[in-house]
Amino acid sequence: MSGDLRTIGALIRRGLNEILRVPGGAIPGILAPTIFMLGLAAVFGRAAALPHFGGSDFRTFIVPVGMLQGAGFTGAATGVNLARDIERGWFDRLMLAPSPRPVLLAGVVGSACVRCLLPATFLLIVAFALGVDWPGVGALALAALLVMGLAAAAACYATVLALRFRTQQAAPLMQVGAFVSIFLTTAYAPRELLSSWLQTVSDVNPVTHVLEGVRQGFVGDVTWAGTWPALLSIGGLLAVFGTLAVRGMRRQGY
Amino acid sequence: MIGLERAFRGGVKAVDGIDLEVEAGEVYGFLGPNGAGKTTTVRMLVTLLRPTGGVARVAGFDVAAQPSDVRRRIGVALQEAALDPLMTGSELIELQATLHGIAPRTVRARGAELIERVGLSRAAGRRVGTYSGGMRRRLDLAMALIHEPQVLFLDEPTTGLDPTSRLTLWDEVRRLRDEGTTVFLTTQYLEEADQLADRLGIIAAGKIVAGGTPAELKAEIGRPHLDLLLAGGSDVERAREVVAGHGELRPATDSCHLSIGLRDGAADIAPVLRALDEAGIAVAELELKQPTLDDVFLAKTGERLEGADEAQPEPEPELV
Amino acid sequence: MTRVVVALARRALRNALRKPQFLAPLVLMPTLFLAVNVGGLERTTMLPGFPHVDGFLDFQLAGAITQSLLLGGVSAGIAAALDIEGGFFDRLVASPTPRIAIVLGRVLAASVIAAAQVTYFLVLGTIFGAAIKGGVLGVLSVLAIGTVAGTGFGALGVMIALRARNASTVQGIFPLVFVVLFVSSAFFPANLLSAPADVIAAYNPLSYIANGMRQPIAFDNALRPLLEGLAAALGVALGATGLSVLALRGRLGAA
Repeated sequence: MSGDLRTIGALIRRGLNEILRVPGGAIPGILAPTIFMLGLAAVFGRAAALPHFGGSDFRTFIVPVGMLQGAGFTGAATGVNLARDIERGWFDRLMLAPSPRPVLLAGVVGSACVRCLLPATFLLIVAFALGVDWPGVGALALAALLVMGLAAAAACYATVLALRFRTQQAAPLMQVGAFVSIFLTTAYAPRELLSSWLQTVSDVNPVTHVLEGVRQGFVGDVTWAGTWPALLSIGGLLAVFGTLAVRGMRRQGY
Repeated sequence: MIGLERAFRGGVKAVDGIDLEVEAGEVYGFLGPNGAGKTTTVRMLVTLLRPTGGVARVAGFDVAAQPSDVRRRIGVALQEAALDPLMTGSELIELQATLHGIAPRTVRARGAELIERVGLSRAAGRRVGTYSGGMRRRLDLAMALIHEPQVLFLDEPTTGLDPTSRLTLWDEVRRLRDEGTTVFLTTQYLEEADQLADRLGIIAAGKIVAGGTPAELKAEIGRPHLDLLLAGGSDVERAREVVAGHGELRPATDSCHLSIGLRDGAADIAPVLRALDEAGIAVAELELKQPTLDDVFLAKTGERLEGADEAQPEPEPELV
Repeated sequence: MTRVVVALARRALRNALRKPQFLAPLVLMPTLFLAVNVGGLERTTMLPGFPHVDGFLDFQLAGAITQSLLLGGVSAGIAAALDIEGGFFDRLVASPTPRIAIVLGRVLAASVIAAAQVTYFLVLGTIFGAAIKGGVLGVLSVLAIGTVAGTGFGALGVMIALRARNASTVQGIFPLVFVVLFVSSAFFPANLLSAPADVIAAYNPLSYIANGMRQPIAFDNALRPLLEGLAAALGVALGATGLSVLALRGRLGAA
């Protein structure tokens, strides 16, 4: 058991090399959600005058979107790195380790959980500097948990694609998946203001609950009613994509 | 392994029914040209690829049913030294040690020991991206040995290496065999197979076409032959008649050369020369040629094993 | 010379069509963005100050086209950079091909792809309920502005490729596309933008290009926005092509 934990730790440390040892490699990923947040607020900011926004300004409303965006793209990047490892043959070495496949997956995916905190933190610093209200330590802790959970789920999804296609050319598919899941939600506006087709989609999209779970502290108070759907959704996403990813690993070489 | 098979989509059988057995503590060589199915076979034996037919057991465990147990006991150095360019040599070997469950206390010590053994102590702190091809192979080997495996798989370990590195690696393989490790080695180089393997199997087009010790295989194919360069102006036809009774005449390459297979090896040289001498035919040069594995390969498959390989001497050197 | 340019353009197009995974982001991403924007912010048309439109889609369509054309420019740049990396560029330079044809060939291909992109969005918009108010003349205006603008963005991409020499640098420009779009009135009326977009948008050629295409779709065939759009597009196209030729000379001079 402790051997497994050490394996996971060692793989996570390796996964961090991408940002620690590649000069400037991490910068686009860290900056992108913040740029998006600033840009969207600059363009669509007046939308917050519409009813149902409950008085929050647009920037505050979309801060959680940016945090999840960072998580989603970090997850996708993890998948791209895995695809590159597969192309290079490094993945074979991983497969030759006697560890159980779920342990190896946790190692691969775990670095996404750590890395996703970077764009989220940068985003929050900029947001607070621009006047977004402090949501409280509890809300931030919950947000961090949900963001890390989404990063792990996105990384599992991207891993499934990497194992299936075995090439970095699958990168756009991974990124599009992350983008779609995060934006086909109540990202831009409360549910009441969405057009009917988007209302339907966001209702069935589990990421909507995750988004609302992160958002609650920023626009109001954190309640259990707002939290449990988010936790359940993350759990569900991890269960589904995690299982698919492990299955994908086991089926290597068939 | 028995009847091992690997068919790919499209029905191409990369490995088509291989039966073989490797004794513990021996070096087994798998010799064959590119595309013969060597790498595919190795990948099946190390649990990276699923056989589509047949059964294989490594270190006592079935590769398909008990892959984890197999992985625990084998070390693998694949054709492409799969290393992470962003990490240093020490970090990589320590990662490998952790992946194989070695206790944290011993990880560093064991890693340093192996790095020393393959001669990379000075480079261990540098990123692998800066290593030469030879250094990468050595690190790969060190990583394969970190957990003291029972069976070591080396897939074309010296392809692309300079001669010095090649010899160093050969010494290392011999040392491992002496320490009791079983080594399964694939190669396309005759000399490597000849030098290192206790037993070997020759594979072509997915099947084993010959097996045994190098000496057995060469003996099976033939006996040595004598290549003679006759002095200028000699009558080759007459010479051929004269020696016909002393051995097996081989096809003439040109009007000055004579090649004859000897039944009893070197002992037959004297009678041949005496016969030519008595007939008044002078010999300018002679060479006794032992059969090579290339000859074995040619006999079994109809093709030569060696292409244009700079590292190997030419099988038939010019006699002029 | 024309024949050479056409031949090079044909090659560029053929290569693009053979790799759909490069083409898809050009239209897929802006389509997704369009869907999300329209679905999420439909009600903004009710904000005071919002020009009268039949639906947010009518307004957004031009923005999606502009975004798609910009991405097309990045894509042209990546393709050119791959040519340089792969050595095909050197082969062309060593041949009797007129140097300027190397740039023009790619630029011509970019304009063909641009026309296709505009058409795609016009059809998509119509399917989902946008009616092109300006009729046939309106469609032609949108095509004209869009194709010229797309040509210009393609030339910009080629210029960047010539200076950067490798494909990953050009790929890094990708996020900048969003930045320049966010400081324009491509996605939202200029009078409703917040700082700093409101200030920058007035000087951003993308605003005029988008407005020029938006006018016939959402409103009517008023001349001024069309002319402004066309002028902005032409300015970008000519300027960018000139810069590419300069970059080409610079690169060959340095070689």
